[in-house]
Amino acid sequence: MELIRVLLSRCAALFRRRKLDEDLDEELRSHIDLAVEENLKRGMSKQEARTLALREFGGITQVKERFRVQRGMPFVGTVAQDVRFALRQLHKSPGFALTAIMTLALGIGANTAIFSVVNSVLLKPFGFPDPKQLVVLRETVAEMAKVAPTLPDNPKHYLNLRTQSKTLEDAAIFQPRGFSVAVGNDHPQIVNGLQVAPSFFSVLGMQPTLGRAFRPEEASKGHDSEVILTWNAWQRYFQGDPNAVGRTLHIDGGESTVVGVLPKEFSFPHVDLMPVAGQFATPPLELFKPLVLYPQEVSDNGDFNYLVIARIRPGVTVSQAQSELQGLQQAYSIAMHLQTHLGIDVIPLTQEVTGSVSAGLWLLLAGIGAVLLIACVNLANLQLARAVAREREASIRAALGAGRKRLLQLALIESLVLASIGGTLGVLFALAGVRIFISLAPAGLPRLNEVAISWPVLLFAAGLSVATALLFGILPALRSMRADPQSAMQVNSTRVANTRQGKRIRSVLVGAEIACTLLLLVVTALVVSSFARVVTQQRNFDSDHVTLAEVNLFNSSYGDSAPNFKAAQISFIDRTLDGLAEIPGVTGAAVTSQMPMAGESWIDGLTRPDHPLPESQRPMVNVRMISTNYRSTLEIPLLAGRDLELSDRSHAGNVLISAQTARTAWPGEDPIGKHFDFGDGAGTRTVVGVVADARVNDLKKTASMVYQPYWENPRWRVYFLVRSPLAASALVDSIRSVVWKVDPQVPIPTLKSFDDQVNDSVATERFQTLLLSSFGAAALLLALLGVYGVLTYSVSLRQQEFSIRIALGSGRAALTLLVLRQAAYPVLGGIVAGLGAAFVATRWMRSVLYETQPADPVAISVSIVLLLAAAIAAAIVPARRAASIDPMRALRTE
Amino acid sequence: MGENKSDVLQGTLDLMVLKTLEAMGPLHGYGIARRIEQVSDNGLSLNQGTIYPALLRLQQRGWIRADWGTSETKRRAKFYALTRIGRKQIEQETENWERIAGTMARFLAPSN
Repeated sequence: MELIRVLLSRCAALFRRRKLDEDLDEELRSHIDLAVEENLKRGMSKQEARTLALREFGGITQVKERFRVQRGMPFVGTVAQDVRFALRQLHKSPGFALTAIMTLALGIGANTAIFSVVNSVLLKPFGFPDPKQLVVLRETVAEMAKVAPTLPDNPKHYLNLRTQSKTLEDAAIFQPRGFSVAVGNDHPQIVNGLQVAPSFFSVLGMQPTLGRAFRPEEASKGHDSEVILTWNAWQRYFQGDPNAVGRTLHIDGGESTVVGVLPKEFSFPHVDLMPVAGQFATPPLELFKPLVLYPQEVSDNGDFNYLVIARIRPGVTVSQAQSELQGLQQAYSIAMHLQTHLGIDVIPLTQEVTGSVSAGLWLLLAGIGAVLLIACVNLANLQLARAVAREREASIRAALGAGRKRLLQLALIESLVLASIGGTLGVLFALAGVRIFISLAPAGLPRLNEVAISWPVLLFAAGLSVATALLFGILPALRSMRADPQSAMQVNSTRVANTRQGKRIRSVLVGAEIACTLLLLVVTALVVSSFARVVTQQRNFDSDHVTLAEVNLFNSSYGDSAPNFKAAQISFIDRTLDGLAEIPGVTGAAVTSQMPMAGESWIDGLTRPDHPLPESQRPMVNVRMISTNYRSTLEIPLLAGRDLELSDRSHAGNVLISAQTARTAWPGEDPIGKHFDFGDGAGTRTVVGVVADARVNDLKKTASMVYQPYWENPRWRVYFLVRSPLAASALVDSIRSVVWKVDPQVPIPTLKSFDDQVNDSVATERFQTLLLSSFGAAALLLALLGVYGVLTYSVSLRQQEFSIRIALGSGRAALTLLVLRQAAYPVLGGIVAGLGAAFVATRWMRSVLYETQPADPVAISVSIVLLLAAAIAAAIVPARRAASIDPMRALRTE
Repeated sequence: MGENKSDVLQGTLDLMVLKTLEAMGPLHGYGIARRIEQVSDNGLSLNQGTIYPALLRLQQRGWIRADWGTSETKRRAKFYALTRIGRKQIEQETENWERIAGTMARFLAPSN
């Protein structure tokens, strides 16, 4: 209580300094006056009275000083003094101040922006209770490990695990799906949703705010016409009507009753059945429907086509759950006499969602951190030069009695002032930077919508500002502490400072800067060459001038409960293809059954009747249902045999295969005319042609493909490919009207140029390359400035020396060399150190590189050459200046 | 200064000020200093100025308060007065001091 009172009154005193000083002066004056008065009364002379009064009082200045110390907060007081002094100093050298502040602001801003992304995407826990206990289960099949290390889950295995496991509190199976939602008479739209087991929401630990979660009986056929909406969907379809529960929504051609609305903060991340190649924008989840498991699915022969989210019991670790579930899967494989060996992969939810991007994001943060580090080194050099110039000032201060601590404080506070101004501006830059980042970032970056400048981010920015201040301020500050009070008096020159030691520190700093820059350049070069490799791989297809339209046939006329739904689908595709071909300027229209560039999908084991293999050794192929002109529309080369033809309608089973399929399934044989099937009883296929390995799934790798005519097995998702010299933007309207003329009740969720789809598939790589290149460029520029600054400064200090050398007959070329040699040591030393660092650091980059070795000689030599060129460019100007000194003028200025 | 003058023990001055104010009522700085000198019979080597930091310290603790007023000689001066907390504090401080003095006295007593 008393302490608080004292503190308060001391704090208050800080703001009333002048008033209190006046008060004290008056009080002391009145004290002396009273004393003089009394002395006079005792009969002293005026002079005597005054002298005695002053003597008895003691030192007035000392009293005032002690009074002030007692009154305020001496530390705060001196800090405030130093801050004011620092601001005055900076005001006096606006060029330096502006450079330093802008460098810091940009550096801190960029770091803060990237950190805010890392924070939201990687560090911030999900908004579920105990999110650390949430895991995603993926099955593994030992026999298929080569083709797919993990698989989605089989419902029967899920039911077994859910009932047997003791480490899991509960689990819920689910399946991501697009739902066709129609409001009023509009064309239906595809919205993202999940079909979930009733336990889904309790596993997550969230319940609807309105209505209820699904009941167990709703996960059965005929009782599943309920829907739960997210907050946003509730706003969108029911305008936030509190009585929405009980109303209906038109989904997939039927009526679904709303039974619940989820809280606003509910946000389930995007999870793909299979790890996907590219990161495409995923519209947010809007609705949840009960998942009905049909008997044919709950079977060991059923598809691995679902995912399971589970909550681990409190106190149980992921690895404990992993080993228990692995054991259960193995026991199950044995008990059921399965031919395959099942296993499990228990993946923490965070890792499942962000595992694929975390290496890249950390790399970006490290990269921008390195840029800031280089900027700090530059500033340290600048500060050091200033400290040298102000050495006399420091010496005088020391001579006047300034303590070492006080001198250190003064120097550090100047750096802190710079850093806090820079940091504050940096946060403003970060606000803009985050927007730029979001607009450039691949739209499929998980949790991108959660990225914001939050408290942890502001704390990070503040911490970073202090750290940078210490980084670039500590050396000059320590230097000022060494100030020798005598030297100021003895040396009558401004050049006290170019001591050997000062030179060495600056060289080391430049060397460190060069090392950092080289490291960053090597990283950048690796990423750039990796990206160049991705985009310059021979694709064997031409996406230019092709427009891609996805059409979903999710309505009752095409549903599997409709009579002749296959015929309806085929007729829809036929009529649409005809319509598309008639659009003016269209030279070809084709169809395929899977989204191009979205990774491998629809994978089946190929069986040769003439050469049967056990299931685990069958070649796995991607099956696509295409139209006859698919190959010609995409300009995929035909290597052998013939293309599919309309006449194949009467010869069922004729297919095309890709060269890779030919190599793996018929090694050393001619596959044309050979037969195979998928072991599904759907009949034998005959190979009629072999096409080149087109990278239509993924630019990064080829895949084994089988192309069969769409009329043999049409799918609910149809992807039209329209070739035309016209731009996609000029075609979209005509494409839409053609599709809706055939059937106005089908949604068109995707309509864009194929080029965009290809670009989006490597958005992550492009984004990383773009950002890292700009970091590399910034680092190079900073290094150039650093070398230039240090050399220019040292030349200006050595003017006198150079003048004498010239006067004594030294050649100008020799002088140029002298300066260049001075630059050479730190630059070469830095390059060696940087190479060492790169050798160690780039090994962690393997996961973000494509067909590029971390020790790529080209990337490394290009980086070194670039850096050397920059260093020479930076050194040449001061070197020539040194050589062009006019000896007479330089000697006279002294 | 004089050879027989003692230095003022840290903290003692505060108590002297408090006791002075208790005895004399509101008083200005000079008055307090003079009173301490008189009571100690000029036996303390006390610069009068030293009492100002002490007065400030007591003020910050809330034991005394200060107001501008007029001296008996019609001079403007700052007058210090005990607060309620200050009055209570005297008792405790006195007790403290007596305990220390008593302890000291036992040390200084001729041993037998």
